[in-house]
Amino acid sequence: MKSKLIIGLFCCLSVAQIATPLSMITRRESVLKNGVLFKFKTAAVDPYDAFRGRYVALRIQEDKAPLPHGRRLSNGQNVYALISVDDLGFARIVAVTTRRPGGAPYILALVRYIDKGNVRLDLSLDRYYMDEAAAPAAEKIYREHARRDKQDAYITVRIKDGFAVIEELFVGGKPIKELIPSS
Amino acid sequence: MNKKAVQWLYRELPELEARGVLTPEISGKIRRHYDEAMTSGKTMLTLMICGILGALLIGLGIILLIAHNWEQLSRFSRAVLSLLPLLIGQGLALWVLRTKPQSGAFKEGTATFLSLMVAASIALISQTYHIPGDAGTFILTWMALIVPLVYLMQASLPAAIYLIGITVWSSHYWNDSLKGFLFWPLAAVVVPHFIWTLRQEAYAIRSALISFIMIICVSLGLGFSVGRTWPGSWVIVFPSIFAVFYALGSFEFDSLTTNWQRSLRGLGGLALIVLAFQFTFRDLWKYLSGDVYAGVGETSGWGVVPDYAIIFAIVAMAMFFLLKTLKRGSLTDSLFLALPLLAILGYLLHGQAVVLLLLIFNAYLLCLGISHIMAGIRSNNLPIVNGGMLIVAILIIVRFFDSDINFILKGLTFIIVGIGFLVTNLWLVSERRCHEK
Repeated sequence: MKSKLIIGLFCCLSVAQIATPLSMITRRESVLKNGVLFKFKTAAVDPYDAFRGRYVALRIQEDKAPLPHGRRLSNGQNVYALISVDDLGFARIVAVTTRRPGGAPYILALVRYIDKGNVRLDLSLDRYYMDEAAAPAAEKIYREHARRDKQDAYITVRIKDGFAVIEELFVGGKPIKELIPSS
Repeated sequence: MNKKAVQWLYRELPELEARGVLTPEISGKIRRHYDEAMTSGKTMLTLMICGILGALLIGLGIILLIAHNWEQLSRFSRAVLSLLPLLIGQGLALWVLRTKPQSGAFKEGTATFLSLMVAASIALISQTYHIPGDAGTFILTWMALIVPLVYLMQASLPAAIYLIGITVWSSHYWNDSLKGFLFWPLAAVVVPHFIWTLRQEAYAIRSALISFIMIICVSLGLGFSVGRTWPGSWVIVFPSIFAVFYALGSFEFDSLTTNWQRSLRGLGGLALIVLAFQFTFRDLWKYLSGDVYAGVGETSGWGVVPDYAIIFAIVAMAMFFLLKTLKRGSLTDSLFLALPLLAILGYLLHGQAVVLLLLIFNAYLLCLGISHIMAGIRSNNLPIVNGGMLIVAILIIVRFFDSDINFILKGLTFIIVGIGFLVTNLWLVSERRCHEK
């Protein structure tokens, strides 16, 4: 009787253990399938990171918006960042709000810090994972193209209901995977 | 199984036979019984280690096989394949629960494997979808998904992984006292298992391991989560928690024989001595009010309640054990457990009477050292005598480095302390030989 109960409880736990990664997959697949596509320009990041090796570290160039009037925001607070697209087709953050916006496209973000009337945001688009062998080469290519004098690196992101999923990292107009010499 | 007790019994058996207390037949039966029990303990351990290693190798092999063609697979296939290690882990654990529910080794091995595979699956999916590096959320999700295994499979290694996980998680919130406070209810989840393990098999390696990890994690978790709203409170709360560890080890598991098994008492005592030494330095008390945590958390309002509640609870436990020890009349134990009380005094007086505090803590360590030496001599126990002498010697040496005495005198003191060690040891060894003759 006791062992049946334990096996029953174990099965419930197994369902929860599978449901967690499965929900991660379905949520992101749904965004990648039905989300609206945006391009975010990326900037160079500090190359010193002890844990790097399997991904290219990214920094969104346009990660700030004017501090909303009469609103007190604190570091780490959840906000909605409203997105618009500029003439070149890249996404920019135009405003932040603490209430879910109605029609305009938006992305869920965290306030990193407030700087001279601007809110610096953490858009949670900070890494692009690659094969362990390819990541260091990709990182090198990315850094060269994200420099201030070039800046032709960007990511494509699908967004649905404020939830963003990175689709691809482009460097010089091509997906980064195509630029890595095959070994 | 207490190995030393069994060895003692083996040594006694011939005499018991010779005196006619036991017949040779009964004596043989006793020997066979313990031989079998000891061998099965060893077999269990070997099985457990082999089980965990085997399961890990299988898991890694599968991941490697998948990873070989990883880049060629579509995103969705990769995501689905990421679930494979988890499914294999669950399958193995279910098989053990159904066919070998009595085997502790198999349950421990498969539960550990499954715990690691949960993390592997989530990490693989995170890579596939470029999920940002939020270590706090990842760890907490992982821990929530594995902690039921501790109870369903009566496994201690997942409990150890869980304790380490929540400690790392709390380190992410060291500057957020309200979130950091959650370490305590999270840690409490595995306390019943901890008590169960110690009650079931106090002599087994897994009890020693879980005690060791519990002490380290609770001490670190305390550092990450408590005292943010009360600057300087660490001088009270750390001696208190170490005193609680020491007391639990002394009272609850007094019968344990090896230091490895007595980690509660051993590590608690060692930490108390280290803290007492820290308390003999002037700068600690001088700069206590402006300690590094000051201003990190709010120091008033409702936000301070959890912080204060944890501090008072730990101090109350330490005081309870101090009273209990005083009633038992053990001088060495009472001295150890008196440190939190002296630390409270130190906290109250640090602004006015630093010199008095330094005198108190130097005298305290001297008393602690001497009480160990006396207790060791009384019980003819060389390690305890040496422990006591080490405390006194370090105290003398530290104070000499502190002061402006010339180096010849310092050198001479080192030599005298060294000779003291040698002479006492030689004397004790000769005393022991005389007793044996």
